[in-house]
Amino acid sequence: MQQPHDHDHGDHGHEHDHGHDHGHDHRAAPMVEEITDFEVLEIAVRELAIEKGLFTAEDHRVFTEWAEQIGPAAGSRLVAKAWVDPAFKARVLSDAVAACAEIGVDWKEPTGSGTPSDYMNLRVLEDTPTLHHVIVCTLCSCYPRPLLGHSPYWYRSPNYRRRLVRWPRQVLTEFGLNLPSNVEIRVEDSNQKCRFMVLPLRPAGTDGWTEQRLAEIVTRDVMIGVALPRADRKSDDVRPVHKARRPVEHAGQPVAAAQ
Amino acid sequence: MPSRNDLQQYYETEAQLAPTIHQHQDWPYEISHRRFQAYMAPPHDVGGEADAPVRYEEKEEELWELNTYVTCEVLGWRGIWNAEERRRRGNNDLGLSLYYGFPYYGRWIWAAARMLVDKNHISLTELLEKVAEVRARHGKH
Amino acid sequence: MENTKATGVPARFNVGDRVRVKELPNLFYTRTQMFVRGVSGTIAERTYEDLIPEDDAWNRDSAQPEQFYIVRFRQKDLWEDYPFEGDTLQSEFPDRWLEPISD
Repeated sequence: MQQPHDHDHGDHGHEHDHGHDHGHDHRAAPMVEEITDFEVLEIAVRELAIEKGLFTAEDHRVFTEWAEQIGPAAGSRLVAKAWVDPAFKARVLSDAVAACAEIGVDWKEPTGSGTPSDYMNLRVLEDTPTLHHVIVCTLCSCYPRPLLGHSPYWYRSPNYRRRLVRWPRQVLTEFGLNLPSNVEIRVEDSNQKCRFMVLPLRPAGTDGWTEQRLAEIVTRDVMIGVALPRADRKSDDVRPVHKARRPVEHAGQPVAAAQ
Repeated sequence: MPSRNDLQQYYETEAQLAPTIHQHQDWPYEISHRRFQAYMAPPHDVGGEADAPVRYEEKEEELWELNTYVTCEVLGWRGIWNAEERRRRGNNDLGLSLYYGFPYYGRWIWAAARMLVDKNHISLTELLEKVAEVRARHGKH
Repeated sequence: MENTKATGVPARFNVGDRVRVKELPNLFYTRTQMFVRGVSGTIAERTYEDLIPEDDAWNRDSAQPEQFYIVRFRQKDLWEDYPFEGDTLQSEFPDRWLEPISD
């Protein structure tokens, strides 16, 4: 059985290397010399909880397996299917959690009754030519993990949470999205137990595309509402990537920060 | 309703709070209502506060961050706490200094440790001894 | 995880109703943001019944669940200097944080 991720203490570097490299370059950042206080506390809490029988190592492994495979690709599939299948779109808008099952996302995973933090109250917000949605959680970082994976770092930052509710057009402009004033911007502050994602308008230049091809242009940022899909773009705008010191890895490769 | 001007002053006062490092005596003996309100502001309620544009960054996830997320969720799965308790302890009970001083998942793991002690699942000395033991096992600090 | 608790406090509002967010003091914890307190909006959706965060956060499972609502506000009602007429903001509140208005 695979144990919960643990740390070796081999090659380390110096503390506080921010590694602000641009682009999606996933070379390992220099390692720190010592195990950090948070690493110690995390191991201590996990081991004590297992020793006390509060949960088992198997529980932790099962949840980790789930947490490592979630990502925005599921949301992309949902949007693409809604674009080509009006009946599916209607089901998405009336009961999004049920509709997710049709694209292979079961909100009851991984416990049989969902995760403790994501609840089962998904709402998909449909954009129109005169209405654009954008999502924030001013109080923390509420986010539809089963459909979009883990929230991006900037989404959790006090800066985004402070400003989006009051200066949405300025913030969207910083993300490269300028919308005319006759388009209503609706900020959804996800402060309780509903979770939200945006169903954007299907862009021009995509006539006749297959679902699979359409899904490729539905990026994470599009489903948060800080970008619009474009026929010529398959990934979010490139932003600086803050390197991990000891990153989560799959098959020896660090997990990509964005998609 | 509070006037928009009152709200503005609330935000300006609250946004100016910084950790007090040292105070020579336990005074003043009274503080203004405005100051009290600002101290009572839940640290997580930041919507509408002014801030400057920043560079929005992506971030690779550290192993301990994923493990922290999973540990907190599994503690919920097994009924040790619920998500609202986690959000309260992780984002509010730790106070402004830790809220802004700790990384995102640092708040989570601190909150989980505190909860296990508060609810008598572990004793504080058990936690201290485990922390020291883990530190010794993985390298000195 | 559990959102379907026994029916508790009767729901007072329907979609389209005008409501105002209550003003209560802050102590310890809430999920009702300061910037909506005392501001009027319109019920956009009745969502689910659950414990209110002020009870849930202390694990008061014996407390009564109540109806939650998504409320839509005009940005110009939230921020008096907001420059765009049509923009809106939505957020979610339990029944007791809302009061009826008839304007």
